[in-house]
Amino acid sequence: MTTFDLLLQQTINGLSLGAMYSLLALGFTLVYGILELINFSHFNVFMIGSFVSLFVLQSFGLSGQEVILTGVPLAGVLLVAFVVTMAFCGGLGVVVERVTLRPLRNVKGPAAMITSIGVSYILFNIILLTVGADSKNFPNPMPAIRWHIGEATLDFRVLLIWAIALLLMGTLYMFVQRSRIGKAMRATAQDAEAARMMGVEVDKVIMMAFFLGSALAGAGGLIFGLYYNFTSFIIGFTAGLRAFTAAVLGGIGNVPGAMVGGVLIGLIEAMGGQFIATAWTDVIIFSILVLVLVFKPAGLFGRIAPNKS
Amino acid sequence: MVTRRKAVAAGIAVLAAAMAATPALAADKVVKIGMDLSLTGADSEGALRIRNGIMMAIDAANEGNGIPGYRIEPVILDDGTPTSGQYDPAQAATNARKMVADKDVVGALGPEMSGAGKAMAPILSMGGLATITPTSTNPDISDPKFAQQFRPAGKPIYFRTVTTDAFQGPNMANFYADALKVKSVYILDDSGAYGVGMADAFEKQAGKKGINVAGRDRLDPKSADYTAILTKIKSLNPDAIYYGGVGQAGVKLAKQAYDIVPKMIKGGGDGVVGPAMLTAVGYPANEGWYGTIASPHVVGDQKAQQFVDAYFKKYDKAADDYAITAYDAALVMIDAIKRVAASGQPVTREAVRDAVQSSNVPTIQGVVSFDENGDLKDRTVSVFQIQQDKNARPDDVSRQYHYIGVAPQS
Repeated sequence: MTTFDLLLQQTINGLSLGAMYSLLALGFTLVYGILELINFSHFNVFMIGSFVSLFVLQSFGLSGQEVILTGVPLAGVLLVAFVVTMAFCGGLGVVVERVTLRPLRNVKGPAAMITSIGVSYILFNIILLTVGADSKNFPNPMPAIRWHIGEATLDFRVLLIWAIALLLMGTLYMFVQRSRIGKAMRATAQDAEAARMMGVEVDKVIMMAFFLGSALAGAGGLIFGLYYNFTSFIIGFTAGLRAFTAAVLGGIGNVPGAMVGGVLIGLIEAMGGQFIATAWTDVIIFSILVLVLVFKPAGLFGRIAPNKS
Repeated sequence: MVTRRKAVAAGIAVLAAAMAATPALAADKVVKIGMDLSLTGADSEGALRIRNGIMMAIDAANEGNGIPGYRIEPVILDDGTPTSGQYDPAQAATNARKMVADKDVVGALGPEMSGAGKAMAPILSMGGLATITPTSTNPDISDPKFAQQFRPAGKPIYFRTVTTDAFQGPNMANFYADALKVKSVYILDDSGAYGVGMADAFEKQAGKKGINVAGRDRLDPKSADYTAILTKIKSLNPDAIYYGGVGQAGVKLAKQAYDIVPKMIKGGGDGVVGPAMLTAVGYPANEGWYGTIASPHVVGDQKAQQFVDAYFKKYDKAADDYAITAYDAALVMIDAIKRVAASGQPVTREAVRDAVQSSNVPTIQGVVSFDENGDLKDRTVSVFQIQQDKNARPDDVSRQYHYIGVAPQS
């Protein structure tokens, strides 16, 4: 492999990882932007997303890597899987907010954050106890089409994952920028009290942030399954922590920042594995986090709610 | 209301009758055998097979009055934790303390994992409790060089019905060089005690056999993505990959290696022989993987067939070699307790340990006896390759792993 091909291949690897981190990072950023809460239950909403999509795909009779779909059936199955998973996870996020976090809305200090850690462990153990501890084989119904660019290869599956991730992120961005409720979300992020006085239903806005973030995490879980063809109850923590780092890197609360941050973390992970060692991945990622926090505390793109005290 | 009260009364009566009807059992003295397995996490499937193998022996002994006057009570402890997703050395240490604290526990079986064994051995040593592991193969634990660390009380307490990675890793390196004609290899491990030890032992012998080690890296078992390192391996283009480690990283490695370096020779130790590599990886991604077992291959052997059939009947699962080494370990432990009981002396931990040390027990894998460090005298390492048998169940280790032969001894 030439150095160019190698770099290209690692870029492809990194972008695929980055797509997942970005989707997850958006959930952290949306909620933080509005509530200034680091929502750790998000880690395992992502994990549950991968299991929900596993069950959906299994209900279509897909298991293992033997059944390959193309054309309309593939599009249909994926569409149903994404819609069901995102709706379920979005709903789960809303329930988590309503049941465990809203009662603590006005409690000062880290109570809400600690609660979200607790919820994360509850979700984690529910899956462990009901689905089991072993790694699950995740079906991959996509045809094995590959393109070769020099010696680097690009899978159809990877391309599709990028396209879906881009589509979801683009839609979210437009939603936040253009829609009425998106405007309300931005207003609440800037100043919740003032927004409330202007007639914004803050509870509804917060619910929406949880729904959107959790739905994207669900989509991330499905993409994780399709990309790695495996899932397990344990996947939430490592991916979640790295995605959180991505959100901080991009500037927590900043929607485009989370997307770019996710891609950057993915690329760093891939290039670190190539040029340093896989064993050092976490050291590299978290060193970058520390450096960013020291030299640019607001992240690369700054927080989106600068008006808040 | 009345009927309910009647039902309760009837229930109590039945219960009382049942209790009264078992005086014969109650008269037996209870001896407990502790068990430490990784029942939670990526290796849980394998752990269940080991537990089942052990229970076959214990149940048979209890039903057949194997130790006259005694009834064996298993104490099953889990060293896997949700947060680690596999065995957790800290939990293993806690379990060892639990066993040592229970006076009735006179012997132990397990642990499944070497990383757990390293944490448990010093505690078991101080408690004077002997254990027989059917699967954990890290050589340090029984090596006299590390006696200070792993058997501070002096006498060996860590016995095995498998040989160690001091043979498993190097013999596989010989197999790579001699049988597979591998000239260059990339070595990976999973950061665990077992995995790192295996990979080190393999690397050392690979060097002696003239295999060029193209590189060495360490996988984080909790990370999902190994595409970066696999792409790097692809660019270095070695003949083969050797992976020292267990299921959690192994499953993901096998899946992603199939996408990135499908044609490269891939293999590992006993950590890649087990149901997880079959069902969680899936076919065809797992096909062609080589793995070793640190015992002679006995599944399919005439003597073993009877056990395999009985096992299947009882658990509806196919027994693999480590179900057999587990059964054998339990046989050895039961035999030791029996000899102590028969000699008329009290069944104490110390007496049981001494009895285990002097074992000479015919088992399925052959006669089990231990050297002065507690290691199995038989050093056979068997090599297997995954070759899908579509007529067998996908998770049937004994049929999906095709026996290749004995790995050459150095």
